[in-house]
Amino acid sequence: MEFPGPWWQSLHRTMLRGILGKTFRLVGYTIQYACIAHCTFEYVGGVVMCSGPSMEPTIQNSDIVCAENLSRHFYGIQRGDIVIAKSPSDPKSNICKRVIGLEGDKILTSHPSDFFKSHNYVPTGHVWLEGDNLQNSTDSRYYGPVPYGLIRGRIFFKIWPLSDFGFLRDSPNGHRSPGD
Amino acid sequence: MSHLQMLSRIPRPLRTLERGMAQSQGWVKRYFRAFCKGFFVAVPVAVTFLDRVACVARVEGASMQPSLNPGGSQSSDVVLLNHWKVRNFEVQRGDIVSLVSPKNPEQKIIKRVIALEGDIVKTIGHKNRYVKVPRGHIWVEGDHHGHSFDSNSFGPVSLGLLHAHATHILWPPERWQKLESVLPPERLPVQSEKESLHGSP
Repeated sequence: MEFPGPWWQSLHRTMLRGILGKTFRLVGYTIQYACIAHCTFEYVGGVVMCSGPSMEPTIQNSDIVCAENLSRHFYGIQRGDIVIAKSPSDPKSNICKRVIGLEGDKILTSHPSDFFKSHNYVPTGHVWLEGDNLQNSTDSRYYGPVPYGLIRGRIFFKIWPLSDFGFLRDSPNGHRSPGD
Repeated sequence: MSHLQMLSRIPRPLRTLERGMAQSQGWVKRYFRAFCKGFFVAVPVAVTFLDRVACVARVEGASMQPSLNPGGSQSSDVVLLNHWKVRNFEVQRGDIVSLVSPKNPEQKIIKRVIALEGDIVKTIGHKNRYVKVPRGHIWVEGDHHGHSFDSNSFGPVSLGLLHAHATHILWPPERWQKLESVLPPERLPVQSEKESLHGSP
């Protein structure tokens, strides 16, 4: 006949099994939700907080906006879109700028008041990005055209502050690329 | 006639058949529910794994001969691409990496890292003889000079375009090997700012 062990041994065993089971379940759920989160942020879109003055007045410092990644995957980024891209000089940080020119476009790089205008063509596979706040923005005028592969998503909607809730406005700087 | 009386008039085998059919329909519904649950777990996990941890890819082209595809178009190598190693954008000189092509964002190219940020490279066929690699960029070249569309054509590439680190050749079986991070001595940078990280002796 079998004799069950002392009562505290069986209690230990059930407790351990319970805790182990719960831990595995927790880890499993964490992995599952992390993967769903990755897929959503990578392929659908997400909510982003912008910092910096380079896109004023369209996007102010500490505004919260919605970004979508479908345009990037289907190569549907247009002129005038506001995009989030990886910074060319620091891959771990993101920049938020407006697309002024696509590949093949002619960009005016000289100051509007200059007499002799200088132009640059945007090379294939690149875009020309500029912030709306031209006086206070490091953008393609500083580091050159940005490869399309660095673009992560397109910003299309602002959700904070509530006074400015809604779709984003067009560029306040008008058209900067002749020969559209 | 009441409902129960009607039921009792149905012959026995038919009643069993009806119960059996109801059970099998329940089976289908259960299977469908289990399938949906499994699908919504398996697909995100698989996609995240292939995007963030590792995937495999077939190498095409002759720009990395003789290290990759020495047989040309007859037998393409299949390599293991490790995303996890480059999650912090840390690469060493001599690594074989895959990156998004700066000229065509729909394509990935596989090249060897020749120089890191701050190095001065002596170029082959570039418009400038010596190029200093800017911050956040790397200089990549194919092993088969002259047949390679690399930094000698499009200049230094931003680290943000880095896709993965190719660590092993998986196919064909006779070419199963670990890809070494060797820099051909004639391609050493002229001057380097960053020291390569090697395992401590």
